[in-house]
Amino acid sequence: MAGQFHLEIITPTKVYDEGEVDYLRAPGVDGAFGVLAGHTESIMALAIGEIKVVKGSVEKTYASTKGFAEITHNGVQLLVESAEPHDDIDLTRAQEAFNRAKEHLNRKQDEMEDELRALRAQERSLNRLKVAAKK
Amino acid sequence: MANLKDIRKRIGTIESIKQVTRAMKLVAAAKLRRAQSNMEQARPYAGRIHGVLNHLLPDIDRTTHDLLSMRPAKQKAFIILTSDRGLCGSFNSNILRQAESIIDTAGKENSKLICIGRKGYEYFGKRGYDVVEHYTDFWNELNFSHATKMARAITDRYLSGEFDDVRVIFNEFKNVAQQEIVEYHYLPLVLEDDAEEVNTDYLFEPSKDEVVKSLVPRHLNIQMWRFLLESYASEQAARMTSMEAATNNAGDLIDRLRLEYNKARQAAITTEILEVVSGAEALVE
Repeated sequence: MAGQFHLEIITPTKVYDEGEVDYLRAPGVDGAFGVLAGHTESIMALAIGEIKVVKGSVEKTYASTKGFAEITHNGVQLLVESAEPHDDIDLTRAQEAFNRAKEHLNRKQDEMEDELRALRAQERSLNRLKVAAKK
Repeated sequence: MANLKDIRKRIGTIESIKQVTRAMKLVAAAKLRRAQSNMEQARPYAGRIHGVLNHLLPDIDRTTHDLLSMRPAKQKAFIILTSDRGLCGSFNSNILRQAESIIDTAGKENSKLICIGRKGYEYFGKRGYDVVEHYTDFWNELNFSHATKMARAITDRYLSGEFDDVRVIFNEFKNVAQQEIVEYHYLPLVLEDDAEEVNTDYLFEPSKDEVVKSLVPRHLNIQMWRFLLESYASEQAARMTSMEAATNNAGDLIDRLRLEYNKARQAAITTEILEVVSGAEALVE
């Protein structure tokens, strides 16, 4: 069908083959961008955020972490370190991780390195919570 | 002639050892299957990242990236992957022997070690090597976040200037009967030229430099994940083979003991009959 393109979300532990989709919104490092069929061939770095996939009247979201998108005439591949479908997000785990990171950040005496790690953990868990909270 | 009761007891002992080794073999086989399917699943991701990086690197000024630029290798670091537990044949002893000779060639004094797996940690810890980091007791719950954690810790140390060159020594999984010890140049990043072909006229967003900057840590993570999986699969394969051999040996031993047992039993019966017969004859006379 015209106006559709093939989408795969590839992580180190799993490949989500979305098949033919109409629209994709992905979190680029400089802000979210949308992809429709016929997009210029490109490689885009991705930030932690939400991937939205539209297929007909069905909408799907994923919470994802860093990676990149490879857009070709044959389709789109999102290579991200982790992607969790909206329904598979473990809310309690994300909440716990968020609290842990926050507590860590509150204790000022920590070293810089630890702080960076905690910040990143906080970002990841917050993203999961955000994506899960929608709908 | 050995005592009948002793032989029976030995057969019993060996029988139960055989049961244990057979069970260990089956467990190792199941774990091996899991590791292999993980390896299978990681392949598309690793392949693409490698491909894109390979395509980009010639256009990038290596000196502007800390993880890419070569610097004089004064301090070296070696990451050595072993198992936590034994009973896997020569899996650990082979890699430890080879790693030790590699490190000694490089110079023990200016080498720092990162030991993944208890066996390596114990071995090098005892011999006065400078083990700066170790990871043990995680193999059973191995998942991707272990790989990212290790990769980040090692990268941080590298960036802080603690060492200038990082090598990984691990068992690569060839097939169930074969593992190969491999030395891999982890940092600074060098790529072999066997990557997939990549389209040339891409648009890079935000820029080539930025894409590379974000890709290099991804690549290091997935490589670490590959090392862990390769080593884990090799360990399980080695354990499977050696437990299979142990089970067979136990079977052979049982057969031999059973033969001995029957011989002893027959000899005992013969002696008894002789005694009865000669006793009876003595009575007749």
